[in-house]
Order: sequence, then C-alpha cells, then structure tokens
Amino acid sequence: MRDFSTWKPWAKRDGPGIHSVNLEIKPGVILGLIGPNGAGKSTLMRAICGLYDSDGFNKSSSSRRFGIGYMPEQVRWEGRVSVRNSLRTIAMMRDKYVDIDDIIRKVGLSSKSENYLDDLSQGMRQRLSLACALLGDPKILVMDEPLNGLDPLAQRAFCNLLKDLASKGVAIVISSHQVTDLETLVDRIALLHHGQLLIEGTLPNVRKKLELDADSGIVEMICSVTGISPEDISLDLSNDDLLPFKQIGVEEE
Amino acid sequence: MSAYSLGWHIMKERMSAGRMLVIWPLLAMFILFSSWGLSDPKANLPADLVIDSAYDVMFASTAFIVFSATMGAVLISFDGVSRDRLSGVLEIKLSQPISRSVYARALLIGHWGAIFAPVLLLNIISLGIIWYRLDDLPSIEELFIHTLATGLLLLWYTLIQLLASSWAKDLGSSIAVGLGVWMIFTLLWLVLTTVTAGLFGVGVENLNSAEYIEIEAIMDLFSPNGVYHHLLELPLDDIDRGVSPMIASLAAILWSIIPLQLFIRRIERMIP
Repeated sequence: MRDFSTWKPWAKRDGPGIHSVNLEIKPGVILGLIGPNGAGKSTLMRAICGLYDSDGFNKSSSSRRFGIGYMPEQVRWEGRVSVRNSLRTIAMMRDKYVDIDDIIRKVGLSSKSENYLDDLSQGMRQRLSLACALLGDPKILVMDEPLNGLDPLAQRAFCNLLKDLASKGVAIVISSHQVTDLETLVDRIALLHHGQLLIEGTLPNVRKKLELDADSGIVEMICSVTGISPEDISLDLSNDDLLPFKQIGVEEE
Repeated sequence: MSAYSLGWHIMKERMSAGRMLVIWPLLAMFILFSSWGLSDPKANLPADLVIDSAYDVMFASTAFIVFSATMGAVLISFDGVSRDRLSGVLEIKLSQPISRSVYARALLIGHWGAIFAPVLLLNIISLGIIWYRLDDLPSIEELFIHTLATGLLLLWYTLIQLLASSWAKDLGSSIAVGLGVWMIFTLLWLVLTTVTAGLFGVGVENLNSAEYIEIEAIMDLFSPNGVYHHLLELPLDDIDRGVSPMIASLAAILWSIIPLQLFIRRIERMIP
C-alpha cells in the first residue's frame, strides 16, 4: 500500500549510491575497479572525476577536474562535426595549451581527423573518447569500460599505451568486464559491491584475503564476495540474489 | 577560457550544421520578402495599417521575424544540451576544468549567435531593399532599438529552448516543449489575452477598444513576443498602450535575467 502522507511524485529518488569507500590513487599505479553490474563502479568513477559533489575527497570537485582525464563508457559521438573540431571544443574547456595533432596521432586517428563524427566506427569513437581523456596531460586517468568496441589489436595497443602512461607516473583507474585483459594490465584491484569497497590490493594479496587459489581470476573473486557459487551463475540472476554485504575478515552471524 | 571564445566556437559549429540549410531559406523568405512587400508604396495592407517610413516597414515586418527567427532559435537549440547528454559527450564536457557557469554562458552565446547572425545579416540586406523601394532609411536610434529588441527576443527563445533541452530526457520531449512554448507565445497568446480580458469584464467584441488594448498591453509583458513589440514601439510617437518605457524595459531585463539564472543553475547542478 502506498503511504500518501509521504508520497511526493515530484521528488527525486536517490539511488543506492556509494558509501564506505576508502581508496588511495597512487602515481604510476593501474587500479582496476571490479564488481558485478550495479556495484557502483561508474558512479565512483564519476565522483572521482568531479561530476558529482561528493563528501570525503581531499579536493573539491572543481579542483579535481584540473588533473583528471575521464573516458566514460560508450560515448556515441555523432553529428556533422569533424574529429579535430570536436576535440578542439573539448580542449578549449581546459585552461592549458593542447597539441591536438599530437593527441590525434597518439590515439591513431590521424587518417580520420577530418572525418565527420557520423562516419566513425565504434572503435574510432572509443579512440576519440580516449583522446579527450588525454587532453592536458592529466595526472590521473579514469576510464570506464575503455576496451569495449575495440578490435583485439587496438585493445593490445590500448593496454600498451596505458602501461606506458603508468610508467611515466600517471595514475590510472580502469573498470572493465574484459577480465582477461584486466588481469594482465592492472597492478592493484578494488572490489566493489552494493556501493561499498570490499577489498583492495594486489591480485595475489586479494586472492590470499579471499582464501582463493593462486590461479583463480576476477570472476572467482566476484563470486566469493557476492556469495554466488561459480556453477550457479546465470543471466536471470538478479541483484537481489547477491549477498547485500559481506565484509572481509568479519565473521557473519 | 572565456565564455565568449568558447561560445564563438560553438556558434561556428552550429552554423555549419545541416539544419541551417532549412533555417537560412526560411529566414530569407520571411525577412527579405516581407521587407520587399511591405515597402511597396502601392501595397494594400489590412487593419488600416499605414506605412510611410522605413521604420514603419521594419516594425511591420517584425511580425514575420516573430514567426521565422524564433522558430529558427527553437530549431537550433532544441538539442543544445540533450543531444550531448544522451550520447554521453556531456559527461566528457562536464568533467573538464571549465566552470559550469562559464560553460552555460558559452552554450547560450553559441546558440544565440547562430540564429542572431543570419537574422542580423538579412536585416541589413532588408535595409537596402527598403532604401531602394522607399528611398528612406531609419534613424540610428530606430535601428539600434530594432536590433537590440530582435537580439533580445532571440535570446529569450534560445534560453527557453536550452532550458527545455537541459530538462528533457530525450530529443523528442525537448523539441515538444520548445514548440509548445513557441506556439503558446506566437499563436495562442491572443486567445489567452481575450480570455483574460473576458474574465476582467472587458468586452472582446471590439478588439480596438481602449480597455481591451490596455489589458493586451499588460498581458504582453508576460510574453517574449509582447515585450518585443513593447520595445519596438518605443520610437513610435503615435502608439501609446499605457505601458511606460520603463516598465517595458524592466520586463525585458526580467525576461533576460530569470531564464539565464535558471539555465546557469540547471547546468551547475546537472548530473549527466
């Protein structure tokens, strides 16, 4: 039954949100955010990039935006605007000189720089999103599912580029469902579930904390914290079927 | 980065958009043809309209600007925010270090400039037509008021449409809101005015009665088209509808400030 005393159809209903996240982003380290759908990975990334005014950061949302390059998930670039012009528009929003040609070359879009956005393939659109994230030499790169839509060669080139940037001291936060690539790419992982950070550390360290075998991968880690047996995984598994919260190191009653 | 330089860049992008192929002929037909037709000394105009000076032609042809240029503002701005929001590009733009209020102003300048620049150019050409047909030109003061009022009218419609675009969850609802507002102010305002006049006990059988004109003038203050005409009437000595120039100017300022503040607040608080 609906309680009409508090029923406000005009009021915005907040989602579950992010809480209990204590995360340090270190220079030169590639951090992989993992967790089931709806765990809060994208929300956390947006909060890091200053898109939300969230509590708990040591810098305000506006000052965070100066040093961060953000690549959201699946941007559908479209319109009769050239790649170069789109990039120039975004570059104008940074208070810094940007060598657009260099960025275009770095992401492999030199031959498409005068093409209209409508004519780009999904892989090329991903490269353009990456180019936007690289504008202004950010100290932190935040990337939500960056490998989607890229062919295997481009994925490898992409991973190489990220490793190269990390070796130059750029901190990288990445989320991806392509677990095989992620396992070889990241230095540390952070496991999110129901908006909470459950565990964070290097892969061997996390395996040890979760009491998993040395060859177990990210899927086993997610299963371990969400309470699903790997044999029971199916597409009709709803979010409610997952354990609401399981704190590592705390005995459940 | 200033709002002007980013706005200039957005304006250039908007002016090269495919929809300008529709907007340019629409504006040219309405603005140039109305100037040509209304400046014909042999023209037989309805409602005993007498046109005997260049400014009279410009004043009468604003009826066509209200139809075409405001529609152009809606067509240019309806996806000003919503398209970027739907495609995910807005996430990238709002994650840049630029202040959101500067970005909001740049969006406004870009979209407004993309419709005002063609209208201004066509108005200059129509001045040539009027001069050729009537051998008369408006005074500097008249020209200034006409240009300022037209610029403000387009600013108000651009602001309303950008606000609708920022609220809308999809392109369809954005253009529906924009066209709805355009229809209310352009086509239905007369009906609203007569209903209001009727509610106040003013007979609507004679739309030229002093009481009705007074109600109409007050109602016009609540519509961008009405305020536009109040501003255009400022240089005309023979028109007095009971609204002082100060009230008309105040209405113009409020029509500029309130939607602008709403739009800036909307962009500042927007979650892409």
